[in-house]
Parts: sequence; structure tokens; C-alpha cells
Amino acid sequence: MLGELFKVDNFSAFVGTFAAFFTVLIAVYSFGFMRGQKGLARYYLYIALTLISSLGAIFANNLVVFVVFWGFLGFLLYLLIEFGNKERTSATARKSLIIVGGTDAFMLLGVALIWLINGSFQMDELAITLDNKFAILAYLLLAIGAFAKAGAMPFHTWIPDMAEDAPTPVTAFLPASLDKLLGIYFLGRISLDIFQMNDAMNMFLMGVGSFTIVAAVMMALVQHDLKRLLGYHAVSQVGYMVLGIGTGNPLGIAGGIFHMLNHAIYKSCLFLSGGAVEKKAGTTDLEKLGGLVKVMPITFITFLIGSLAISGVPPFNGFASKWMIYQGIIELGKNGGGWWIVWLMAAMFGSALTLASFMKLVHAIFLGQPSNERAIAGNKKQEVGITMLFPAVLLAVFCIIFGVFAYAVPLTMFIFPSLNEGVAFDGVWNSGIATTLILLAIVLGAIIYFLGRMAKTRRTESFVGGEFLEKNADMRLSGVEFYNTIQDVGILKFIYRLAGKKLFDIYEVGGKIASGFTATLRFLHNGVLPTYLVWCLLGMLAIFYVVFK
Amino acid sequence: MTTAVNIIPIFVIVPLAGAFMISIGGRKLKWLADFLGVLSTAGLFIAALFALKLVNEYHILVYSVGAWKPPIGIAMVLDGLTAFMLVTVNLVALMIAIYSVKYMEHFTSKWKFFTLFLLMLGGMNGVIVTGDIFNLFVFLEIAAIASFALVAFGVERHELEAAFKYALMSTLGSLFVLMGIALLYGFTSTLNMADIAAVLAQKGSSNIILLVSVLFVMGFGLKSALVPFHAWLPDAHPSAPAPISAMLSGVLIKSLGIYTIFRIFGNVIGVTPAIASILMVLGCISMVVGGFLAIGQWDLKRLYAYSSISQMGYIILGFGIGTPLSILGSLFHLFNHSVFKSLLFLGAGAVEYATGTRDMKKLGGLMKKMPVTGMTSIIGTMSISGVPPFAGFWSKLIIILAAVEAGQLWPAVWAIVASVLTLAAFLKAMKCTFWGDVRVGLEKIIEVPFLMKFSLITLALITSVGGLLLIPGIQNVFLNQAVGVMTESADYLIAVLQHI
Repeated sequence: MLGELFKVDNFSAFVGTFAAFFTVLIAVYSFGFMRGQKGLARYYLYIALTLISSLGAIFANNLVVFVVFWGFLGFLLYLLIEFGNKERTSATARKSLIIVGGTDAFMLLGVALIWLINGSFQMDELAITLDNKFAILAYLLLAIGAFAKAGAMPFHTWIPDMAEDAPTPVTAFLPASLDKLLGIYFLGRISLDIFQMNDAMNMFLMGVGSFTIVAAVMMALVQHDLKRLLGYHAVSQVGYMVLGIGTGNPLGIAGGIFHMLNHAIYKSCLFLSGGAVEKKAGTTDLEKLGGLVKVMPITFITFLIGSLAISGVPPFNGFASKWMIYQGIIELGKNGGGWWIVWLMAAMFGSALTLASFMKLVHAIFLGQPSNERAIAGNKKQEVGITMLFPAVLLAVFCIIFGVFAYAVPLTMFIFPSLNEGVAFDGVWNSGIATTLILLAIVLGAIIYFLGRMAKTRRTESFVGGEFLEKNADMRLSGVEFYNTIQDVGILKFIYRLAGKKLFDIYEVGGKIASGFTATLRFLHNGVLPTYLVWCLLGMLAIFYVVFK
Repeated sequence: MTTAVNIIPIFVIVPLAGAFMISIGGRKLKWLADFLGVLSTAGLFIAALFALKLVNEYHILVYSVGAWKPPIGIAMVLDGLTAFMLVTVNLVALMIAIYSVKYMEHFTSKWKFFTLFLLMLGGMNGVIVTGDIFNLFVFLEIAAIASFALVAFGVERHELEAAFKYALMSTLGSLFVLMGIALLYGFTSTLNMADIAAVLAQKGSSNIILLVSVLFVMGFGLKSALVPFHAWLPDAHPSAPAPISAMLSGVLIKSLGIYTIFRIFGNVIGVTPAIASILMVLGCISMVVGGFLAIGQWDLKRLYAYSSISQMGYIILGFGIGTPLSILGSLFHLFNHSVFKSLLFLGAGAVEYATGTRDMKKLGGLMKKMPVTGMTSIIGTMSISGVPPFAGFWSKLIIILAAVEAGQLWPAVWAIVASVLTLAAFLKAMKCTFWGDVRVGLEKIIEVPFLMKFSLITLALITSVGGLLLIPGIQNVFLNQAVGVMTESADYLIAVLQHI
């Protein structure tokens, strides 16, 4: 009985292990971050339940069992977001559950269609070819569920909102790590095991992936809230995973799954470091941050490592997996067809923009000059407590290990065993030499930097024409506006304006359509009794007509 | 047959007797109304569970009222569907009676309330147990008239208006039902439902029967608030006191509308393909229209009332599809909806009890002040929106599976759309009422008294673990007996006719 409902294989064991790992880290982090909040017993209960349901969903071998655990996670997400105390928190919680829960409802239809096609809910017995419209519809419906959970476009809009309004550990926990693991795990499951993919469907996945990468990173460029910016990157990175799975060749798929793991690591690291900043500075508004490197050096280093990893800078883990995805795409090109160039361009362009965006972010938070308020508070070194520091440091270390020893540790231990087919890895990147060279370069850079500092500089208050500025003298460059000019470029200007109106937000658009229907229906319900009686009679006449025609 | 049949009339006698005694003594003895109200509903619930056991033992029991043999006399029939409905109705009635003890204290003359409440319950139980179609009409009117009075119980302007509309439209439905019964009687010369079915089987199809089915779809469709016959419901249900709203939305529309459709179409006149597709279409329209309208509401109870229309759509859709699986889903959803919708209405009542308003624009942050009401309402929300593992998820899942299995892809899609709309509407209600910061002016409110919390918690527990009813052992006892009545309707006929 239990064997039919649950099954452990390499893939699920690997994802399950990391789900548990992230839960423990987040729980440790929350000891520090959530201290002093009300209802902490419930908070930890929800965290524990989240882990249990995730494991249930990961190890489920029966689609109904899977959907039950999967759907319950949406409810827990809702409850966890409500622990936030921003003004829009409850609106965000509602939005998240409507998007996640709504797509879960559509998954039910997918499950029902699979049942219609195969007469079975057993996941390991299914091998459906995408040759009829029911199968395609079923795949799309299940993929929508996975997209919403992982945050691929166009079901991503809850993630930036949530990043802004939910407590930071919750954001690091669910959308940044656990939901990514789950969403991409399930996408992998349906694409690799349950359905036999064909070229058109792979094309669809790659299209979604590429679009997600570029569009989300463009949005990230112009954000001015630390957590919201990270939220957009959490969306953008999903694109790589979807793209990797969509390549359909073992290398790309392995890269996509590896990227899922790496992303969970560095994005949690970034959110946790960001949370430390929030805890100390009391804000996540980039305008008000700056110069924190002296105050929080360890957090700066973890954040920097996370940033470099997400931007795909060698030798960190993000590079290793992106490199595999690129190779997967190039592999695709060997079969002919020109689209692979588009996918490759999108992936590399997205990576470059990510780096650009994180240069702005690191500058705005840690470098540059401190904002006036901070300057007054002094630049004393004040790190957060050990429970908050330790998870971020550990994750940063993982970023390095999984990057430098990519082949030896994560790939051979977790990723390759997860895939049934062997992975031919042509362009093995020799991380050893590169790492040495990079270290050398850093040392060199440091020497040059310190030589440069020999020359004395003097710092003083801002002044104009010899007079000090008494009021609002925040004359520093916070770095928030680095890329604001792209909003004024031709076609982008138009797109950004539409995005500003939330026209690309499936939740807002759906809400507008729904309220249109609602308004019409409410207009019809005018409260006049004779109208209602007429409806009854008209309804009856219609039934008469149908029965007697 | 054994003396076990004597349990059947209890379901009608006890509430009627209770109502009678409360109306005599309740004015003087303040405790009598509470005492008798809770005691009789508790007794009825236990009797209903006992009836369930009997059904599993004897399959079907027939009681002849006044020892007059049917088809001359009135028969009362206890079979799987009856027992299922009795358990559902009396469970909800018990919870509501317990809740009302405290809640109704801020109304005058509680004894009148309990009199009408028990009268309504007697009418519903009567509709469920009777095997005679005219008798069914009589009980239907008893329950309906008691409910008119209860809707108007607050005697404010809008309550009277709602009651008037409700009375008028409900009477219109009754009128068509009566017309249908008259035609049926004229055609078959009998009023016993099993006998009618037997005569119809002999006589074969006729246009009269088609006409009767149209009249019944309209009449009972109005009672169960299917769009476009629904317009009375959003006025009537919110206007009543909260326990009655719970009773109306939770069980009244089901026993007067849905159950009668199930019984009469399933067992007596049969479902033709045209009627089945009409029911499916009505179901889909109700689901979606109810869902959209619910989103637009700002009155908590009115929002819940509109969503009842939407949920009735699911039940009728399941019946219209007509496979054993869909009927299982439909009946299960009926039970689940009874539980979570009464839970939600009682929760709305608790909010109104504590704050004095149910306007969502004036509420907010109640979770901090009323955690029990808040969490139970959230659980109700999740259940009605079909979030696993709550009960509502399972019944919706079965209905959707059944729809797809039967090749009805579009109804399945609409069911899903309606599910998303329900989620959106209820999350709006939860956001505005319970989450966020406590509104200015609401700082001093406190959680409701114990008896009200008791009902809320019990119903929330039932709907949380309601999925367990699908475990094969329990399913055979509770749901499958009822499904069997619908799918093997010949058995019903034979068994009842044996007693004639």
C-alpha cells in the first residue's frame, strides 16, 4: 500500500535531502530573525509542516497523493506570509495563494486527464506520448502548476511581492529554495518520466525559460527595494532551469537540475544576508542603505559570494551550472535549426544583466557612502547574531565548494545519479587552474588597491561653494539609479510603462476581467422582485424549449 | 420487518413535539427553549447515526404511518440516501442549536426562535424520510414557511423585505412543484413515490412526464437556488440571524432542493438525457455566476450566500453527469458543503456578535482578537476553495475526475474556474476580516463565548478530516449506501413496493 503511494529514487532522495537541509538552516536563522514576534510556536509548526508536506510531495508516487501535499504547501505559504507585518502583507498573501492555489486547481484537471488517458495515478507506471490533444493539455496543466510554484513567467508575480512583504526567512525558505526545488523537481518529473517529450514541447519550455530570464532580469534592474530586487532574480533564475530541462539532452537537463540546487543555495544565501541587513538597518529601501561594508563585513562577504554566484562568475557554483546549460543548448544546435542561438543569447544576455544588477545592489547596500541617518548612527561594527550569520556563511561556503569542485562533489554525488541516462560531458571545465588564476588575480588586485590607498584621501561633509548643506544633504551616489535610464530607451520605455501598470501581472489582469464580469452581474441583480420573477419564468421557458424541441 | 422501523417517524415527531412544547412553556421558563432545542437536536443526531447503522443492516426500511398500508396511506422510507441526509442535517442542526444558545441572547424571545427552528428541522426531516410525494410537498412547505419567519426574525426593514422576496419566490417554486405533483397524480393515480415509478415504468414515456420534469427542475431548482432561479437567496440568507443563515445555506437548500431533485429524478421519474444536460448546464452556470458575484460582495454573509449558489452548482453538476463516481462526489460535496458552509456562517455570526457589523470595509485584524473564529474560518475557507487536505478538496476532486471520465471536459474546466473564483472571493473575505492590523474602534472586542467556539471548533475539525470519509471502510457505511440508492434505483422501487 505505502509502496504504491510513495517511492524513493535518486532524484527524489537528492531533492528531499536538500529540502530538509534548507529547512534546518532557515529554522536556525529564524531563531535570530523572528525573535520577539508573536505566535512563534505556530511559525515553527508551519515550518515543520512545510517540510513534511514537501517531503510528501517529493516522495509521492501517486499523483493524487502528490497533489494533496503540493496543494497543502500553498496553504502553508499563505499562513507563513501572514507573519509579515508590512502594510500590504495580507494582500500579498492573498495574491500568492490565489496564483499558487489557482494553478493547483488546474493541475487537478491535468491529473484527471492523465487518469483518463492511462487509467492510473501511479507516477512510475506512466509514460505518455504527447501525440493527442488530451496528453498535451494534461502536460501543460501540470507544467503550469510547476511554473507557478517555481515562479516561471507568467505565473511569477507573487514572488517579487512576497519577497517585499513576507518575513525574510520565509522568502528565503519558500520561493527562493523549497518551492524552486519542488517546482523544478516536478517539472523534471513530468518532462523526464511521466511524459515523453517531443520537440515542440521542448521548444515551448525553452521559450518560456528564455523569456523568463530576460524579462525578469530587466525588471530587476530598475527595482529600488533590496528584497523585491532579489525576488525578481529569483524569477529570472527559474528561466535557466526551465531552459535547461527544455533542451531535452542529458547535459542540459543535468545543468537545469544542478542550477535548481545552486540557485536554492545562493539565493537563500542572498536573502539571508539581505535579512541581516534589514535587521540591522531597519529598512530594505536601497535609497536609505549604503556603506554597510564596515558595519557588517561578514554579511558583505556572504552577500558578495552569493552575488557572484548568481551572476555566473567563475569559480562559483552558478557558473558551473550555467556553463552546463550553455553546453546543452549548443548540443541542441548540432541537430540543426536556428533557434538555439536565440536561447543561448537570452541565457548569456540574462547572465550579463544579472551581474550588472548585482553590481548596483552590492554598491547600494555595502559600498558607496552611508546614508545620512547611518552616518549619524556611527560606523561601529555590528554583525547580527551567530544564528543568523551561520546559515549565510555556510551557504556561501557551499557556493564555493559546489563551484570549485562542481564535478567531484555535487554532480557525481547528486545530479548524475538522478538522471537515468549517462551524461556525456565534453567541455569539462577545469576549475582547478581557473580558481588558482582567479585567486592570483584577487591578490594582485588587493595589492594594487592597498598601494592606491597609500595616497591620502580626506572625507568631509557635502558642501557647495564653501557652505555646508544643512538640510537634506544626502549628496551621495547611492547607486539606485544606475540603470534607470534604460526605462527611457525606445520600445523598452513602452514596455516598462505597461509593466508599471501591472499589465503583465496575470493576477491583476485576471482580477480586472473578473471584476468586469462581477460588475455586469451585479448590475443585473437590481433587487427588483419582478425582474427576478421574470428570470425564473424565462429560465423555465428555456428549459421547456430544450426538452420539447 | 422488525421494530427497527419505528425509528423513522421519530425524525418528524421529535422536532415537532419540541417546537410545540417550547411554544407552550418557553415564554415562562427561560431555560426550556435552550434545553429542549439542544436536547432534541442531540437526540435526533444520535437517532440519525443509529438509522445509518440500521440501513447498513437492513438496507431499506419502510414505515406505514397510522398503520395504513401504502399506497393508500403514507409511507416513510429509510434507505441509504435518507440516512445520509438525516445524519448531515441533524449534525448541522445540533451544532447550530448549541451555537444559538449564546448567540440568540441578543435577540428578544429566544423561545420563538427555537420553536421556528425545530419546526423547520421537522419539515426538513419530513421531506427526507417521506415516501409520498404529496406528503413531501407538505413538509417542504412547513420547512419553507418556518424559514420565511426566521429570515424576518430581526424585523428590521431589510430583513422584512428579504423575507417577503423569499416568500414570494419560494411560493412560486412551490406552485410549480404542486402543479407537477398534480399532473403526476393525474397521470399515475397514485402519490406513493415507488408506486408512481412502477406505474411510469408500465405506461412508458409521455409528454406529461417531460412537462412534469420541467416543472420540477424549475420548482426544486428554485429551492436549491440554481441560477437563474437564485435571486432570493442572496437577500434571504444574510438577513436571517447567523445560526439560521447557517441552517439555510448549510442544509435547507439541500434538503428542500437538492435532495428532492435526487430523489424524484433519481428514483421516481428518471433522468432523461435532456434533463441531465439541462442539470449540467444549470450547474455550470450556477458555479461560475455564483463565483463571480461572490467576489464583488462586501457584506461577509452575502459573500458566503453567493458562494452557496456556486457550490450548489457543483452538486447538481455531479448529479447531472450521472455516473456512480460523480454521484459519489456530488453527495460527498453536499455533506462537505453543509459542514463548511455552516462553519463559515457561524464564523460570520461570531464576527457580528463580537463587533456588531459584518461589513468587511469596517473590519480587519480580527485574527489577533478572535483567534478561534479566525482560524476556524480560515479552515472553512480552505475547505470550500478545495485546498487539500481539507474535505472540500476531495469532493471537488471526485467531481472533476468523474466529469473527465464521462468525457465532460468543459464542465470540468468550469468547475476548476469556479474553484479559483471561490478561492479569490473567500481570500478577500479573510483578508478584509481577519488579517492585517486591528481596525480603529475594534481594539476592545473579545473572543466569543465557549458554546459558540465549541460549534466552530467541532465543525472545523469535521471539515479538516472529512477526507477520511473516503477510506473504503467508512465510505461503504456512509456514502456508498446513499450512492447505491441513486445508481440502483430499481432496488428502491422493489423494496418499497414489497410493503404495499
